[in-house]
Amino acid sequence: MLKRFLSLLLVGAMVVAVAGPAAAAPKTIKIGILGPFTGSLAFNAGEMKKGMLLALDEINTGGGLFGKEIELIFGDSECKPDKGLSAVKKLLTRNKVLVVGGGYCSSVNIATSDICNMEKCPVVVAIAISPTITNRGLKYVFRTSPNSPMFLNGINLWLEKVKKPKTVAFFMENSDYGRDGEEIWSGIAKKIGAKELAHLYFEIGDTDFTTQISKLKNLKPDVTFNIASTTEASLIQKQAKELNFLTQWIGVGGQFTEAYFKMSGSICEYAMGSSLEPTLNMKDPETAAFVNAYQKKYPGARPGIFSSQGYDNLMVIFDAVKRAGKPTGNLSKDRNKIRDALTTTDIKLTQGRVTFGKDGQVYTVFPSPVQVQLKDCKPGLHVIYPPEKAAAKYQNPKPWAQRKCK
Amino acid sequence: MESLFVQQVVNGIIIGSIYSLIAIGLTMIFGVMKICNFAHGDYSMVGAYAAVFVMAWLPGWFGWIGSIVAAAAAVGILGVITERLVFRPLLTRRTDIDIIMVSIGLFIVLENLSQLVFGATPRMLQDPFGSATVNLGLFSTSILRLFCLAFSCIAMGFLHLFLNRTQTGIAIRATSQNRNAALLMGIDISHVYTLTFALGAGIAGIAGVLYGTLFAVFPTMGALPTLKAFVVTILGGMGNLRGAVFGGFILGVAETLGGSYISMQYKNSIGFVIIILVLLIRPNGLFGRREGT
Repeated sequence: MLKRFLSLLLVGAMVVAVAGPAAAAPKTIKIGILGPFTGSLAFNAGEMKKGMLLALDEINTGGGLFGKEIELIFGDSECKPDKGLSAVKKLLTRNKVLVVGGGYCSSVNIATSDICNMEKCPVVVAIAISPTITNRGLKYVFRTSPNSPMFLNGINLWLEKVKKPKTVAFFMENSDYGRDGEEIWSGIAKKIGAKELAHLYFEIGDTDFTTQISKLKNLKPDVTFNIASTTEASLIQKQAKELNFLTQWIGVGGQFTEAYFKMSGSICEYAMGSSLEPTLNMKDPETAAFVNAYQKKYPGARPGIFSSQGYDNLMVIFDAVKRAGKPTGNLSKDRNKIRDALTTTDIKLTQGRVTFGKDGQVYTVFPSPVQVQLKDCKPGLHVIYPPEKAAAKYQNPKPWAQRKCK
Repeated sequence: MESLFVQQVVNGIIIGSIYSLIAIGLTMIFGVMKICNFAHGDYSMVGAYAAVFVMAWLPGWFGWIGSIVAAAAAVGILGVITERLVFRPLLTRRTDIDIIMVSIGLFIVLENLSQLVFGATPRMLQDPFGSATVNLGLFSTSILRLFCLAFSCIAMGFLHLFLNRTQTGIAIRATSQNRNAALLMGIDISHVYTLTFALGAGIAGIAGVLYGTLFAVFPTMGALPTLKAFVVTILGGMGNLRGAVFGGFILGVAETLGGSYISMQYKNSIGFVIIILVLLIRPNGLFGRREGT
């Protein structure tokens, strides 16, 4: 009898222990951040995180919000939809975050934003660009990054008006990121009458691309569309050199990170993409302030597109939490207030002005087409189109044998 | 006149030589100790990181040669440590599943530990040939790739000589063929186990330096080679060295030709289709011994 009583007592104590902290008002304002913090994209997510920690510093050293510190809780998606789902479920139900930010890898975010919407928790996607994320009419889903049609708009105009390629080939990451871009560029190829020679794919994490590049070399496309992330893009360009394959590489621009330039060096000369590089926009006071603060916090680091996207993403969230008013402690009420505050966002950040359309997509951030050009054999990015914004002229890729830099 | 077919065969042979080099250690360890080590590719990853550090303070050719020696030594020692601490205590168990689960655990630990210590940013190993390329009429490739091919073949040749011509090598082979008979002949089995792990892991470490120089060095780089090494090992016959060598080349060429002429999306599954076919026709692999002989 005593044993039974004691065991009941123990169970009771455990229930109280589990329920206890949840019942009390949280001491911090919790924000969930999703991203592939381990796996093959971990270092890109790391750049996003660096930008976010900078934003967090600025807010918390300024006293936080409503006298409370902001706490970021990171959920690792490994760029795999199933892992992303379990990470976001943990953030929503166990950590009870008020809003979910971050996000990288379109396939993951299509799934995770759906769950957030079902749980009526606002989610603000930072980096994934597949149009599907915001075009499903989900009330709680927002995105601070341009989607892929917006990313590719500038480069598409350049292809139509300037480059006018006769033959094109596609070499894409086999994911929503790659497939969505392929669809857009396939439409452009049809519009300008370019012949589509091949549609080839690779898997995230592949390292040997010689089979595909040999095939491309045999077809000799004027332009090769290559939607890839940092590691894959630089390995592809390195192996193109080994196989003596010459083409105009065009990517989305997500590959242009600090690691990409370190890995590929002068080999990435002439590669093109569409970008929101903060360092190309130093005339803008917000962007310049971000770049300076970033280099102060991380000496020697190059602030790339992902770090500024991470910074802006979190700043948009802080702004919405602030405007939503002091959290009441009622989770669903607070989440709804933040969701409503997000719809009226209007804030100027490092990538431009952020306001959301009815679908939750930002339509006020404009990426430009950029090309990698060398100066003293060191690669740098330059805006090449439209003429009024261009900082450099487009250069046609030279055959490998004629290039001086090694 | 360049030929797509010749180019693809050459691509396949080069990548196949690396597959063989990684698989050879895996199959040796399986042959001697009957251990399926899913962390084998991570020995290559650790080897590649060892090379990153050696080349940071010793650039150029000396650094590259030095890093191969350092990788072999460091990973050989790591192999011995994992053998003693992780696998040896499990050897007396009856089920293989324990060993498989533990090796998968080791794989997860090594991968995440390296991300913690080295960070997730991929690094490049300097190409000692300055990324020079050659055009040999029918195909183009880099000197580095040709060198990796030659180096793998030479390393495998030396391993063959060691296993067939030296007392220790013969002891390893004897243990692989029949553990009890070897014990009766006075072979120190415990010593052979340690040596096999050191050798198998050391070769994987060298393969890691080649792989890292050809591609890049990052914490998850071991996963794909592990998978390929298992395909190669099953293809050639578990525990069979000749099988691992030929299996590597067969897989490399089959992948590039299949990827080029059948479908690129199925490139990574071609190996598994071949495995199914081989297991249907020759259940012990292409070079495997039949049970009971």
